[in-house]
Amino acid sequence: MKLKRLYNIKRDTNKWSIILLTIVLFVSIPVLSIVISAFDGPGESWHHILTTVLPTYLENSFWLVVGTSILTLLLGISSAWIVSRYTIPFKKQLEWLLILPLAIPSYITAYSYAGFFDYGGFFLKISTLKVDIMNIYGLVFVLSVSLYPYVYVASRAFFVNQSNNIIEASKLLGASERKTFFKLILPLARPAFVGGLILVLMEVLNDYGAAKYFGINTFTTGIFRAWFSLEEPETAIYLSVILLVCILLFILIEKRQRRNIGYFNSVKNHREVKKISTSKNRQYFLFLIVVLPFFLGFIIPVAQLFYWAFLTYSDVFNASFLLIAFQSLGISLLSAIFTVFCALLFIFASKWNRLSFLKSVEKIGILGYAIPGAIIAIGILIPSLALDKALIVFFKNVFDIKIGFVLNGTIIILIYAFVIRYLAVAYSPIEASSLKQGNSLVEASKLLGKGNIFTFFKVEFATIKPAILSGCILVFVDVMKELPLTLILKPYNINTLAVKAYEYASDELIAEAAIPSLCIIFTGILPIIFLNRLISKA
Amino acid sequence: MNSTLLDIKNITKTFNNGKVKALNNVSLSLDKGKIVAIVGESGSGKTTLIRLITGLETQDTGSINFKNKVLSSETVFINPEKRNIGMVFQEYALFPHFNVFDNICYGISQNLDKKERTEEVLELVALSGLEKRYPHELSGGQQQRVALARALAPKPELLILDEPFSNLDVILRHQLRNDIVEILRKTNATAIFVTHDIKDALKISDDIIILQKGIILQQGNTKEVFEKPNCNYIELLFDDYKL
Repeated sequence: MKLKRLYNIKRDTNKWSIILLTIVLFVSIPVLSIVISAFDGPGESWHHILTTVLPTYLENSFWLVVGTSILTLLLGISSAWIVSRYTIPFKKQLEWLLILPLAIPSYITAYSYAGFFDYGGFFLKISTLKVDIMNIYGLVFVLSVSLYPYVYVASRAFFVNQSNNIIEASKLLGASERKTFFKLILPLARPAFVGGLILVLMEVLNDYGAAKYFGINTFTTGIFRAWFSLEEPETAIYLSVILLVCILLFILIEKRQRRNIGYFNSVKNHREVKKISTSKNRQYFLFLIVVLPFFLGFIIPVAQLFYWAFLTYSDVFNASFLLIAFQSLGISLLSAIFTVFCALLFIFASKWNRLSFLKSVEKIGILGYAIPGAIIAIGILIPSLALDKALIVFFKNVFDIKIGFVLNGTIIILIYAFVIRYLAVAYSPIEASSLKQGNSLVEASKLLGKGNIFTFFKVEFATIKPAILSGCILVFVDVMKELPLTLILKPYNINTLAVKAYEYASDELIAEAAIPSLCIIFTGILPIIFLNRLISKA
Repeated sequence: MNSTLLDIKNITKTFNNGKVKALNNVSLSLDKGKIVAIVGESGSGKTTLIRLITGLETQDTGSINFKNKVLSSETVFINPEKRNIGMVFQEYALFPHFNVFDNICYGISQNLDKKERTEEVLELVALSGLEKRYPHELSGGQQQRVALARALAPKPELLILDEPFSNLDVILRHQLRNDIVEILRKTNATAIFVTHDIKDALKISDDIIILQKGIILQQGNTKEVFEKPNCNYIELLFDDYKL
């Protein structure tokens, strides 16, 4: 029997199986290199870190996770439920305005709030109350108003698609609106909002800019410190492994809760949820609840940035800024193209490969989005440095030629890192679109004598084109916003808008950070509108 | 001279790591020019069987031979696009972004005159004049005819029809059934016709294969099987159609 299985494996192995395995290996390198390097043992300061700062990293990261979870759930679910269930003023506009905070990287929201509450800031001009935001509570607040849209989007998609039959059945059984929401709708929506919450937590653990600026020591700031200040890569690797384990735990919890969703969308005769019309006063009250997260997450930071931009544009807006803007756009565009190409290769190599056990390996390749940028950067630096050193020795010994680093400090490594980090962002919409299309058209084409590539361009491409475009835009914007990974891997002579904003803020030139920040924000708004249209269509 | 076109030997196919056995040691052969009906209820394995014949799935054990050439065995696998087997899908699977003409000439090889061949099959299925229409502009019956024309256009050596009438109403079903038999006879096609409806099978096929839970219960000449069923299950299947 085992021999027959071996024969089957030999029979079913084709070039796509090899390509699929190569891509999986290609994107697993950072994690593999970190795990393998961890066996070399910790650095000299590890014991010191273990007894002094590690408990603080753990404690701060834990409270950040707990605090942002509670606040994002409150803001995200309440606003999603109100816009899906109630008739309120400007409902149509609020539906997509509520997503806009996603366009602002959390470190930029952090800079804005620091200025807003600072001496001379707008808040102290209208109030006598002095608010110190540069602490862990402030960071929880900033991250929550910046990241709640992940929960909002997931919850709203569920509420919009929820059948009215369930609500009517509950009402006919005598339950009030409140009881229906807490006993029925909320438990049903759990898989949806927990999915959104997991994304929030990934972003919280990935954050470097906001925590660094607020002076809060977390795992990610710890990894940076161990690598660059203590110059102990071994210690940075150990911290990365601990963080990776935490993230794996999150992913397992999410998978487990998704497994128990047999009741999800169980109603077949779908009828849209009826909107409740309430009194004018109640409508205004609900409007205020919904507008609050948008106001906190978008209006205040953007207004603060515009104010600073007005003060500093003559100093900041010059030829070197334009060069940085072009470099940023170029890197983002190249990364988006390569990432989408890899995602397409990944999806279709998996489809055209006939080895069924390889289909599960495929999921490893899209874990990059769950891994913080700093870890990916370190995971790439370790093997690329080793390869560069080996190349230098090789060229010296064999050709007697002295060469420098071939990979490190080049744009190749930076784009490679972005491809790994954002592969899942491009993968998800394209895969969903391909699945939605089904197999029959592709099978019909094959039975009409056409091969995989011909079928892809003639039949499949036409239907997945919008998904390819959306994947491309999403990756483009994510790369524009990315900070920790870019900080570690960018070539010396190249800069991005995100790094420029960070450098200004680090040099206490926070007002000067406004123009690069606004450029990033407005590049990010376009795909958010696109994303909202997708949800509305769904 | 050997007239066997398709020869299937001891095919077994499992899913979910061997937990679900879709086909269990199935063997059958099909002669050239015959129309064979594969009949069985949902889950009997008929779809799996045709997916193995077309190469859209691979079997665990056994072999599929076509014109004395191995298409698929434990060590050999010929890709679906190289098998010259045509198929009419249950949901028609017409390319929505192509018009009728482009749908039909999609699979015609370079060796044939595409325009001439397309017009020929359009005439055969009585759809001349509708070349410029898109699939969504056609009725269910017209879509079915385009799907048949598209499958016939590359001149396949074997044609498979997967539940071709399941989406049609009773009147259209009756009319199309007669038309399809006529077209298949006219083109002297060898065809496998998959259905769960015994009436369709009796009207169309020369031979019949009855599947249940992945096992062939009986196969042979349709008339003979109808008259001499070898078990209660088959007798019950034919019960309503006996006078």
